[in-house]
Amino acid sequence: MAEEINYTEAFQELQTIVADIEEGEISVDELSIKVKRAAELIKVCKNKLTSTEEDVNQILKDLED
Amino acid sequence: MSESRQIFTLKQVASSIRKTLEERYQQTYWVKAEMHKLNLYPSGHCFPELLQKEDGKIVAQMNASIWKQNYQRINKNFVDVVKEPLREDTTLLLLVKIVFHETFGLSLQIVDIDPNYALGELQRERQETLLRLQKENLLNLNQKLDFPLLPKRIALISADTSKGLSDFRKVIETNQWGYQFFTFLFQAYLQGDVAVKSIQEQLKRIEKVKEHFDVVVIVRGGGGEVGLSCYNNFELCKAIASFPLPVLTGIGHSTNLTVAEMIAYRNAITPTELGDFLIQSFHEFAVPVKDASKTIRNYSKNKLENANQSLTSTVKLFKNVTAQRIDQTKNLLVRSSSSVKSNVKFVIHKEKESISVSQKSIKKNAKDLFLLQKNQITSLVDTARKNIQFELKAENGEVQRIIDRLPKVVENLIHDTNNKIKQLEQSVKLMDPIQVLKRGYSISLFEGKTLKEDTKLKPGDRLVTKTHFSEIESEIVDIKNK
Repeated sequence: MAEEINYTEAFQELQTIVADIEEGEISVDELSIKVKRAAELIKVCKNKLTSTEEDVNQILKDLED
Repeated sequence: MSESRQIFTLKQVASSIRKTLEERYQQTYWVKAEMHKLNLYPSGHCFPELLQKEDGKIVAQMNASIWKQNYQRINKNFVDVVKEPLREDTTLLLLVKIVFHETFGLSLQIVDIDPNYALGELQRERQETLLRLQKENLLNLNQKLDFPLLPKRIALISADTSKGLSDFRKVIETNQWGYQFFTFLFQAYLQGDVAVKSIQEQLKRIEKVKEHFDVVVIVRGGGGEVGLSCYNNFELCKAIASFPLPVLTGIGHSTNLTVAEMIAYRNAITPTELGDFLIQSFHEFAVPVKDASKTIRNYSKNKLENANQSLTSTVKLFKNVTAQRIDQTKNLLVRSSSSVKSNVKFVIHKEKESISVSQKSIKKNAKDLFLLQKNQITSLVDTARKNIQFELKAENGEVQRIIDRLPKVVENLIHDTNNKIKQLEQSVKLMDPIQVLKRGYSISLFEGKTLKEDTKLKPGDRLVTKTHFSEIESEIVDIKNK
């Protein structure tokens, strides 16, 4: 995904897609786009669960400032 | 002057004071005092300094002592009841004996300390802290913060030797779902008076780098259930309550909740339970994500199946309608064709009849015509015959006349012809070469042939010249061409 998406936004957008889908408000034409987007969002969310990118050195540097 | 004065030795004075005091203060007394310093010596004896303050000013001060045996008993009892060791700078209810020693002077010998009074004091402090927090609207401040969707990045306040810390880490680092947390340890004292300052300082440091963290976790454990009254300290509780990130506590206090635990965003009885809580937060994120994937998959499948079905039924319907239409058209065609056939038959029949009628009429007409023609021809033939007979008769007359004249004509013709023949015989006789030769002419021959224009002659050639009476052979001397 090109833009960096925050997992909170990803989670909310995913919930919206699920709600739309459950309410049957998505046409077959839209479906593939939405499903693709949902897959990306799910990937972002899953990645967040199982990876960390926090930099200890940066924290130490910020603590010294 | 010197005789009249009575001189005492220092010991006499000291002994006198001691005696007086011993007589005056024979019992033990309950004294309320602040223990400023405990002064525990390696010998096991303590020499606390006792104070009384009024408006922050010391209004009384005395030395005290606790003998080793007493101290051990008092301290054990105290910790059992208060869950705190004897602490400096706290007000205690002391059972004392007033003693005077010749060399050590006046002191209060502490024989007991009422732990329940101390407990009451702690409760009072706890109550005061709560009231103050409430008054300053700090009580629910931390609990009103938004909890992060994923409490991933954890600022840990603990001691690296703490069993609580290792329990907590074990839960979050070895979870079976592969959830990843990021932890950064901010080392602090976790019990006793020192903890107040130590934790406050670390909270200040964390606030400086709060962008790197989602939550603050204070965990403690394995150090015994004593020294936790620091978590009732107003300043520490204020720091926790007003912290910009949710503060979670797992400091292992089973009986009486401290104020810090009460005002924290969330409190767990043990560090392990706190770890489980964080894992649960991850589940609450992970499960909807997983469900989303399932819901989307099922829904998409249904949607596509429905679309497929409706397409199939449309195709079927189309097929049926088309087949029906073709059938209808076919029937129409069959009916039309049979009607055409019968019409054609009828027309043909009619035509046939009309032809047959025409035929008959033609036959009859033809016969009539033929008869008419025959009559005409017959009359023509008759006319012709009569004409021919007439013509013949005329011709016969003519022929007879010609025949009558014929013998005379023939006779004249024969006579003329005979005359002409006689003249011709005469001419021919005159033309004979012999006759010519007789008249003096000769003929020259070369190689047996008469001389003509193209006969090539040269001097020396031999010519034969025929005359009426001889043949002369001569040689050419000269040739003169005309």
